[in-house]
Amino acid sequence: MLKLQIALILPASQSTVESGQLGAGRWNSGALRRSDIRILGPIVTAGRVYLKVMNRSAILGTLLAGLISGCSSNVTLQTPTIPEPLLEQIPISVGLRMPDNFQHFVHEEKVYGRDEWSIDLGRSNAALFEQLFGHMFAGLRVLGPDDDPQLLPLDALIEPSIDAFEFSTPDQSNTEAFAVWIRYRLKVYDRDGQLVSNWPVSAYGKSQTTTMGGSEALQRAAVLAMRDAAALMIMKFDNVTRISSLAEKPAPETGPAAEPESEQAPEADVQTTALEGTQDETG
Amino acid sequence: MKQDRRLIKAPAVILMALSSAGCITSTVQDARTGVTGIGEGESVVIMAKSYHLGNETELKYIRCIEDSLSRGKDGLRVIPHDQFVDSLFPWFEPRTAPAETKNLAKLMARPGVADRIEEQGIRYIIWLDGDTERVAGGGSLSCAAGPGGGGCFGFAWWQKDADYDASVWDLQGLESAGTVSADVSGTSFMPALVIPLPFIARTQARACKTLADQLHAFIVQDEAA
Repeated sequence: MLKLQIALILPASQSTVESGQLGAGRWNSGALRRSDIRILGPIVTAGRVYLKVMNRSAILGTLLAGLISGCSSNVTLQTPTIPEPLLEQIPISVGLRMPDNFQHFVHEEKVYGRDEWSIDLGRSNAALFEQLFGHMFAGLRVLGPDDDPQLLPLDALIEPSIDAFEFSTPDQSNTEAFAVWIRYRLKVYDRDGQLVSNWPVSAYGKSQTTTMGGSEALQRAAVLAMRDAAALMIMKFDNVTRISSLAEKPAPETGPAAEPESEQAPEADVQTTALEGTQDETG
Repeated sequence: MKQDRRLIKAPAVILMALSSAGCITSTVQDARTGVTGIGEGESVVIMAKSYHLGNETELKYIRCIEDSLSRGKDGLRVIPHDQFVDSLFPWFEPRTAPAETKNLAKLMARPGVADRIEEQGIRYIIWLDGDTERVAGGGSLSCAAGPGGGGCFGFAWWQKDADYDASVWDLQGLESAGTVSADVSGTSFMPALVIPLPFIARTQARACKTLADQLHAFIVQDEAA
């Protein structure tokens, strides 16, 4: 295997450089991997040849700047816009009640032995669900913390939350891609406030690193995961939650007594999740 | 004095020329299962098979194929894949995109799908599968840098394989028109004596050009015949 070694020759006062702190982006794009780079220490090895550098302080300054940066990464996601979907709208009116972390979701993680990551999804989750449900349902009302859904003319209430957010970096996956997993949970209540469905939605997005750096790729992977969740919900929402059956029935017309209809509401506990065919957790 | 400069420049030029080329071998094949041809106003779209299925086709490779197919006076009309995917959301997302031509009829029956495809004049969807990866490498290269300067010494080499398949779906007949594949292998070298001299094999770029040329011929061949 190809071995590249880089020796940093620093004055004694600056010799406490730890392995892995070099900004090695230039080498990552080719055959040489970051893990191939090792700092050998302040000892000048006989036989090595050095280029003459006119401005030593400039080189040292650049080097130190490189050492300081790269220890933590902050990514802020811009609010995504999903395209208008091609679908048949579900003819009911729903309320959407979102928890606080939908407005300010921040994921922080220290990748073992490497960088610290802070991923601020901001309002992107809230925007996703507002846009998506606005397209999916005939009526949508976003509820504030003081709104009582039972006092509003709604057929159903949807309460999404985030169960888990995970990501992997190219170093971890040994690929050139960032990947993001988001597991949402959608709770659906009828107009009486009874829980009728509890659906975990697992979404995945993956994006390769670009010359613009890892931050852009991670953002794109997160947006792709959100689109993946949206696609799954469009395909499966009604099949899984039977939300269309919660539509308000028209009042029976006065006249001859009709045969009573059989119970319309499906048994919630036989619903299955769209993913992996596992039993839903309605309960 | 002038002659001395020429003597210095000549090896530099040769070196630069050599630096741009490593060793590359390529194989391209196609297998036709239907009649092709493309009319005026008809277009193609380049897609990557889903990463949900383990495919790793690079975004830059898709863009390269798009650019290569649309380039020149005989270039095809290519709809950017982002635009196509957005216009048909959510039916060409990695999770929902059809995996086989037998799913096309059901897809076209969904509300608005056939209209959007017709609006854009899309005749063919080309599905790319494959990637470029480093398969071997060796040698040793050491670099040293310090306040007094720096330099490298040694020799390194690596080999990359770019294997891509393109499945051509004809939306007119809702059937497969065939497949085109390109297998390219490139070996790069980097000797270093103070300054590293890269002899880079542009494997993926060659795979892009090879596949795009063959795809162009595959699609327009019957019409020209």
